[in-house]
Amino acid sequence: MDMEIWDRLKDENIPVLPMRQVSTAAEAVEAAKALGYPVVMKILSPDISHKSDVGGVVLDLGSDGEVKEAYHKMMERVTSQVPGASIQGVMLQKMARSGLEVIIGAKKDPQFGHVIMFGLGGIFVEICKDVSFRVTPVNREMAQQMILEIKGSPILGGARGRTAVDIEAMIDVITGLSRLLEKHPEIVELDINPLVVYPKEAIAVDARMLVD
Amino acid sequence: MTLKSIFKPDSIAVVGASASMGKWGHTLLKNLLNNGYEGLVYPVNPRETEIMGKTCFSSVLDIPGPVDLAVIAVPSSLALAITEECGKKGVKGIIMITAGFSETGDEGRQLEEQLIEIVKRYNMRLIGPNSLGVVNSHTGMNASIISRLPHRGGISFITQSGTLGLALADWTMEMGLGLHIVVSTGNKANIDDIDLLEYLAEDPNTNVIAMYVEGINRGREFIRTAKGISKPILAVKTGRTKSGSRAVYSHTGSLAGSDEVYSAAFKQSGIIRVENIDDLFDSALALSVQPAPNGKQVGIISNGGGASIIASDACERAGLIIPPLQQETRENIKELVSGFASARNPVDTAGLATYEVYNGTVRQMLLDPNIDAMIVIYVHTVMWDSSIPARAIVDIHRGTCTKPIIACWMGGKGTEKGVDILKAGGLPNYPVPERAVKALASLVKHHGFLENVKGGI
Repeated sequence: MDMEIWDRLKDENIPVLPMRQVSTAAEAVEAAKALGYPVVMKILSPDISHKSDVGGVVLDLGSDGEVKEAYHKMMERVTSQVPGASIQGVMLQKMARSGLEVIIGAKKDPQFGHVIMFGLGGIFVEICKDVSFRVTPVNREMAQQMILEIKGSPILGGARGRTAVDIEAMIDVITGLSRLLEKHPEIVELDINPLVVYPKEAIAVDARMLVD
Repeated sequence: MTLKSIFKPDSIAVVGASASMGKWGHTLLKNLLNNGYEGLVYPVNPRETEIMGKTCFSSVLDIPGPVDLAVIAVPSSLALAITEECGKKGVKGIIMITAGFSETGDEGRQLEEQLIEIVKRYNMRLIGPNSLGVVNSHTGMNASIISRLPHRGGISFITQSGTLGLALADWTMEMGLGLHIVVSTGNKANIDDIDLLEYLAEDPNTNVIAMYVEGINRGREFIRTAKGISKPILAVKTGRTKSGSRAVYSHTGSLAGSDEVYSAAFKQSGIIRVENIDDLFDSALALSVQPAPNGKQVGIISNGGGASIIASDACERAGLIIPPLQQETRENIKELVSGFASARNPVDTAGLATYEVYNGTVRQMLLDPNIDAMIVIYVHTVMWDSSIPARAIVDIHRGTCTKPIIACWMGGKGTEKGVDILKAGGLPNYPVPERAVKALASLVKHHGFLENVKGGI
């Protein structure tokens, strides 16, 4: 389930960060080498939805030794914090380069069906609630309107000396998500958070979904 | 199937008609008989032989001629049997005033399901149940409990709240607003918003649709239908509270409350969502009587500087633009007004409110290619007669003016003479600049010059 969302995103050509699912420390080291350092390690468990709350996320691991140690410590922490949790292993992701974080999500509304949300990530979404919505299906023109509609949209265009980010890439993600939702009516909620946007691409770094 | 039997029936039975004042069956019959409706009206009540001088029938089945519409106000325990009789009689439309259906809980819901089964079996259409009726001001049909027939006009009003909606319809008379259809939807068990929009879109007497919405069924079809309608649709949606207490799983889940989704759906439908009831009717008025603007650049004239500043600020907040006037326009205006006045937009007449100044200046501004619409403000002082500037702009409006003009006559009692002239001249007037600007913004928005772009589905 936890990994399923990544396959769904890839099916719609939504770029995701390279990742590997492993279940031993040795596998973790191999995977990290293959991905290239630095990497991020996240716990994989159907019983844990807020991974960082239970020490299930470690960022910026730079060597084989760090990965091995992080694996064992994470297993200890998580099993002591959530006794009895079923643990499938960990997921290793290449550490994302820093870029502009946005959130693209979806929800099934009882009257209108699936709606897609767009907003700037981090505190913008949590505190300012600067987001826009559309009922699906969302085409490219509508996706562009959603992006331009938020109050913070000048930031995307490179306000105040920032570099402008790839709006077409965000439009691709929104329309890809719209197609995904049409194929999967069972999706109740979905967050791509963050989608990190760069001048020439956008990459889904974390994602989660809830199905019926 | 057409809703003609509901809105333009040739014959109406009032089932549950009563001779006793205070009963709904009394009010309904009285309203149908006293407002100029020219079709046939049949009271139905087995305990009476004559009501208000009309022969009373004990059942719709006893009525000699055909019956297009039955307005039913009987106890809910009798509603199914009466509906069945209507079906047998060949009645085409029903307005079910009777309450006690799905709005009361599970038992009522079952009753409503049975009611709809009967309606469908006989190929009838039904408004309600739990409706407070339907008004068609053009045919004089007041099949509602509203006390007076509204003025005739191009606005049709769909209201989900019965009492509030009808009180509003009554209030429009004070505002000088003209309505065509008023329909209290009740529980929307058979005819819902989509059916009504489809009907009103084709109805030649309706040019603006105003909606008071609590909730919408068939959301996606609603968007699809509304999007296909070119007439302006305005909506107030109440119940802005967050729905549901389910534990929050995602950010999207916590932020996509029902209200946000309605806003998005309305936007995609091309429906202009307004914040409150004042805005609903203010905007409906402007849309029903004024032509389409060609853009969002607004000219403002006032005999008082303060009022025009308020109007300019409100325009800016609404996304409207106050452009500079062309050199030629400014020079022509300078010839009309005294040396102290500003010939820049907003134009300040420095207190002058003569016919020549208002007529001449507004004319000049309308000729300016920078100006798409006008807000004309008059602030009343004892020095002037409010009717004179009113006549000055009504005369322009009556001419060949193709740009919208919105009036704002401020100052209460002294402005009444002017306000009457504006109303009679078909100019929308508002008592404060903020309301004038919001109404103009809706007009501009409908014609696609402000955000509110249709899309999807």
